[in-house]
Amino acid sequence: MAEQIIPDNTDYLSRRGFLARNAMGIGGIALATLLNQEGLLGKPAGIGDENKRFDMLPKKPHHEPQAKAMISLFMNGGPSHMDLLDPKPELTKRNGTDFQGDITYSFIKAASKKLLGSPWKFKKQGNCGTEVSELLPKLSEVIDDVCVIRSAHTNINGHEPSIWSMNTGVPKPGRPALGSWITYGLGTENQNLPAYLVMTDPGGLPVDGVRNWSNGWMPPLFQGTVARPKEPRILNLNPPSHLKGELQAQNLQFLKELNEKHLEKHPGESDLEARIASYELAAGMQTAALEAFDISKETKATQDMYGLDKDPTREYGTRCLIARRLVERGVRFVQLFIAGQIWDNHSNIINALPSCCQKTDQPSAALLKDLKQRGLLDSTVVHWGGEIGRLPVTQNQGAPEKAGRDHNGQGFSMWLAGGGFKGGIAYGETDEFGHKAIVNKFSTNNYHATLLHLFGIDHKKLTFFYNSRQQTITDNNECKVVKEILAKG
Amino acid sequence: MRLLVLVLIFCAPIIGIETVSGDTASVKKEAKGSVSPKAEITFEKHIRPILRKHCFDCHGSQGEREGELDLRLRRFMVKGGESGPSIVPGQPKKSLLIEKISEGEMPPGNTKMENAEIELVKKWILSGAFTARAEPEKLDEGLGITPEDREYWAFHPITKPNIPTHPPKDRVRTPIDALLLPQMHSKGVVFSVDAEKLTYIRRATYDLTGLPPQPDEIIEFLIDTKPGAHERLVDRLLDSKHYGERWGRHWLDVAGYADSEGSNNLDSVRAYSFRYRDYVIRSFNQDKPFSQFIIEQLAGDELVKPPYKNLKPDQIEKLVATGFLRMAADGTGSGGEQDVKRNQVVTDTIKIVSTSLLGVSVGCAQCHDHRYDPILQTDYYRMRALFEPAYDWKNWRVPNQRRVSLYTDEDRALANKINQEANVIAKERTEKQNKYIQSELDKELKKYDKAIRGKLRKAYETPAGKRTAEQKEYFKKHPSLNITPGNLYQYNPKAAEELKKLSAQVAKIRARKKPEDFVRVLSEPGNKIPKTFLFHRGEHSQPKQEILPGGLTVTAAEGKQFTAPLNDPSIPSTGRRLAYAKWLTNGKHPLVARVIVNRVWLHHFGKGIVNSPGDFGNLGGKPTHPELLDWLASEFMENGWSMKHLHRIIMKSTVYRQASVQNSQFVKKDPGNTTYWHMPVVRLDAEVIRDSVLATSGVLNPKMYGSPVPVKEDGVGQVVIGVDKKGSANRPGANIPMNGKENRRSIYIQVRRSRPLAITRVFDAPVMKVNCDRRISSTAATQALTMMNSKFILQYASYFANRVVELSKKDTSSQIKNAWMLAYTRSVTDKELEKAKQFLNKQVEYLKSKEKKTDKKKGTKPAPELQAMTNLCQILLSSNEFLYVD
Repeated sequence: MAEQIIPDNTDYLSRRGFLARNAMGIGGIALATLLNQEGLLGKPAGIGDENKRFDMLPKKPHHEPQAKAMISLFMNGGPSHMDLLDPKPELTKRNGTDFQGDITYSFIKAASKKLLGSPWKFKKQGNCGTEVSELLPKLSEVIDDVCVIRSAHTNINGHEPSIWSMNTGVPKPGRPALGSWITYGLGTENQNLPAYLVMTDPGGLPVDGVRNWSNGWMPPLFQGTVARPKEPRILNLNPPSHLKGELQAQNLQFLKELNEKHLEKHPGESDLEARIASYELAAGMQTAALEAFDISKETKATQDMYGLDKDPTREYGTRCLIARRLVERGVRFVQLFIAGQIWDNHSNIINALPSCCQKTDQPSAALLKDLKQRGLLDSTVVHWGGEIGRLPVTQNQGAPEKAGRDHNGQGFSMWLAGGGFKGGIAYGETDEFGHKAIVNKFSTNNYHATLLHLFGIDHKKLTFFYNSRQQTITDNNECKVVKEILAKG
Repeated sequence: MRLLVLVLIFCAPIIGIETVSGDTASVKKEAKGSVSPKAEITFEKHIRPILRKHCFDCHGSQGEREGELDLRLRRFMVKGGESGPSIVPGQPKKSLLIEKISEGEMPPGNTKMENAEIELVKKWILSGAFTARAEPEKLDEGLGITPEDREYWAFHPITKPNIPTHPPKDRVRTPIDALLLPQMHSKGVVFSVDAEKLTYIRRATYDLTGLPPQPDEIIEFLIDTKPGAHERLVDRLLDSKHYGERWGRHWLDVAGYADSEGSNNLDSVRAYSFRYRDYVIRSFNQDKPFSQFIIEQLAGDELVKPPYKNLKPDQIEKLVATGFLRMAADGTGSGGEQDVKRNQVVTDTIKIVSTSLLGVSVGCAQCHDHRYDPILQTDYYRMRALFEPAYDWKNWRVPNQRRVSLYTDEDRALANKINQEANVIAKERTEKQNKYIQSELDKELKKYDKAIRGKLRKAYETPAGKRTAEQKEYFKKHPSLNITPGNLYQYNPKAAEELKKLSAQVAKIRARKKPEDFVRVLSEPGNKIPKTFLFHRGEHSQPKQEILPGGLTVTAAEGKQFTAPLNDPSIPSTGRRLAYAKWLTNGKHPLVARVIVNRVWLHHFGKGIVNSPGDFGNLGGKPTHPELLDWLASEFMENGWSMKHLHRIIMKSTVYRQASVQNSQFVKKDPGNTTYWHMPVVRLDAEVIRDSVLATSGVLNPKMYGSPVPVKEDGVGQVVIGVDKKGSANRPGANIPMNGKENRRSIYIQVRRSRPLAITRVFDAPVMKVNCDRRISSTAATQALTMMNSKFILQYASYFANRVVELSKKDTSSQIKNAWMLAYTRSVTDKELEKAKQFLNKQVEYLKSKEKKTDKKKGTKPAPELQAMTNLCQILLSSNEFLYVD
């Protein structure tokens, strides 16, 4: 554990509350009026309610929430679960023999039935004794706070449909992303920062591009705001140099005067009030976002903990650290993507997988430690995982050292921590080879139902009216809140 | 849910709440028989809709019924299924149905019956489980259409209501006002005062043209003080070519207009989609009868005799119109799972047709009889059969195969001649090139030992793919042997120069050819007419019985349902779509005219009479003023389906002429303004915001029609106007001058599904997944940031400032006055003028003080006065008064 780096020992909630209160204060009368508006939760939008307006103000959840924010570390490509989080001794034992069952391949040409035991060792870690691969030494240090899911599945081997399933609840394109649903349901506590922030990789966009944070058929308000890996982090955020400072302040002041005069002639038009507030929020966002993205204030110890002192971890560590700063400031949902899909280890898994782990293991574990020591972990969900896993058989690439593993949507692992998830457990099982989830199967709908439950939301009641029906993230599929993985069952 | 609430409100006072206690109470009633038209709760009216929603999927509509239980009739329920009777009339406690639904065992899945629904079923059983009439002896497959279904308002024939008379003090100008007044009176409100002329001209000009009024137009209206000035203004606006651009845009929303194929990340460009956009604009400007507009879009191809060659302008127009049916995303040209993609095109097309013209969502019926509306699964496939001859998923044509060339035989002959001419020179060039290469090869070979020259030459002459390993080795070892047309210039620069000149000559000749243009058309190939099958659960891999083409059963009177011809012998195509289009527009269809006039109302008042313009069904909204809706629909049809007539009558009505200012007394009486006692304040649509900024800045390029203005991603990934020319390593390339095209109206900007233009997207312009039957209006900080910092707004604010400075060079007061008039269509007040001057002075002062400190960049920056004016202009363009219409 790193040294004590909590700046002033302030309790998280009051700190968050303070930041949020400050932000809300700016809106003055306008916001006070807005707050009197009925929350959106569970209400159909658009139909018969012509003045329905959408905003990001905090909404009352259905029940007392445990989670208030979420950081999702999306591992595009399908991390190899039997090499990382799901030990399979039987697979190791039968390494090189033929797999006896049916298997669906994506890459027929290189398909093989030869079982490939994990070349890496697993060991029991922490007090809980959850087995973790030697490739994840830093995760092993915090495993007592982690709930490993070993029975995730999408039942589809392809990347995109599985991403849609993980991220929108349905393996079809065009629906709102998880972050859109959560911010639509709950709004955000800090109006000075985007409620739903996506941090992309300097190497480029993930597979499926901008659709990963699409609002689908919800208003664009609920689309993920991209924080670019370099300045300008957020588009149109920074004033042009010739307006920066005094001039823009004067502009906004005069604009406000004109708008308020106009409002006097149209009392009760809430849309006009909301737009006046939106300029104030935008101005607040300019300073707030700059401050939130500025990691120079973090101590050397904190920076080192995330691996900012080393090449392989610097970039991902920086983003993880920024993610913590954002959540600390009341951002509701942060999702980190990686360029392309580095975990798609069809070949040369022996080198490729350790390199993926090297990039992400330390920063992800540091994020947990850091959130915990700041008292933020209890109210912040951290998710780590991809959209699929990999097959237990080898993908034949000619030479043994070039071997990889093909796609597997039938069973894979991911981990969840904080925000009311139970630490130190492993939930669900795949078969003895890691091919299919068989015990306590954890569907993406179960995932979303459980997650929303922790946010105080009943997934069946958070609805959005589209295409003549009340849509939900779980799309009326058979699913449940998985009580076994909740800290307070 | 909505329906249920109504049902309960209706029932509650009559039924009371005391009932569900003694199971024996109503056994006597049962003995009298199960039919009782006057019973408070009947199966048909109250119970069937609940069962339809929750149960019929498994116990009714589908062929195989779970547990052999069919719940579609009372007597089937009494008989029950494998587990015995479902209901025991009079005895809810002994009824298996009640047990299953009360315990939540049924229906399976997450959506359970509401308590109120369960209670109603209980009460119905207790009261004797009556039906309203004798049940049919025989029941066909599926849910069928019941008399109760036909009672639903939207399926009633349209009838022109009587117009109530009102005293003069009520200020009735048109029947519209007369029909609105009764509800106003019942709420104790009256029309607000007439809006001032400046307010009216701004509202009317935005409504009809999507642009702010320009100074000359304002003056013309202000000096017209004779009666009828408002009507004359409306006439002028309807004559404006911008009218078609604005109202065409509304139609393009429901048609799902796009300039790209969508469906996957490639999102390839539809180069000729714009002809349909232009057709729509022209049709609105011509005030083409809307019935004709519908017929052309659904069946224009069937009005033109094939083959589609040497086309005359009116024939082209009709073919272009079918672009309506070619708007759905169509990724079949770019690989992937063909069967899925093809069927998706058909599905999306049916969605576009049904939401735009019928105002009902038929999509649910693709898999099963609709749970809420009387739309049968067979109805869905009847509609599908209308389109199947053109969209035959087993004999598909990808987008490029569906294009019709506009080349005439003459054009083609001429092109061939030019090609021949070019080919002569091209051939000469190829020969020369080969000769030069040979001679260079000879020179190279001389460098080698004679013995291997033959081998090397043979290796050279062997195509790269067929070379032996040994031959390949030669080239690795002696790279200079690899002479190609591409590197010939390195061996013989002079020859290369000569060849280049010949190439240029060829290109020059070919450039004389008229470019071949195309039209996107939906037509029937005419060789083979496919059969249409009902797909079990919507799966195209599970075809069931054959279905014949027709319309929705419920939209015609019992026994009068529309059936399209299988193959009309009088025309080469099947005639299915043509017959359908004519039926839709025959004046008797209950939905079409209502749906169209409702949209017109929506675009004038910011909300529809039915506020779900794409869904008039049970899940949509109910009409707030059903008689007004019917009057408008009748008036529309009686006047030749003229849009412009509809605008004229709406815009001369008192309701439209009112001020928007709210009255504190009336706000209490009707806070939602459901009775229209004042004009609502409405935010401009995304495209209108952009177009208005351009127009106010004085740079709007009014050019109409033609290929879309392209979009690209800029250096930071925002989609902006520009030619997408990628530089090296996929970086954005150099800026290519747009020569004023960047200032064209938004309707002419390329609609690339994967690249929505940032400035309009942020203000809620739709991204066409399928189509958009209603815009949403959001308020977000990103919009504010766009108006504060985006390149777009900074650029146009500076144009706007230059415009007002040009108008009155030295006089700041006049500049401010002009800025106000241009942005707000009103005079600046004295107080505002004073404040604006103070603002400018303060900024100039500040800028001057800064200037002294940082002299270096002087000369590149605008003068402080101009910068300050630019800032003022930016403020005006960002302000609510600019962004909203009273």
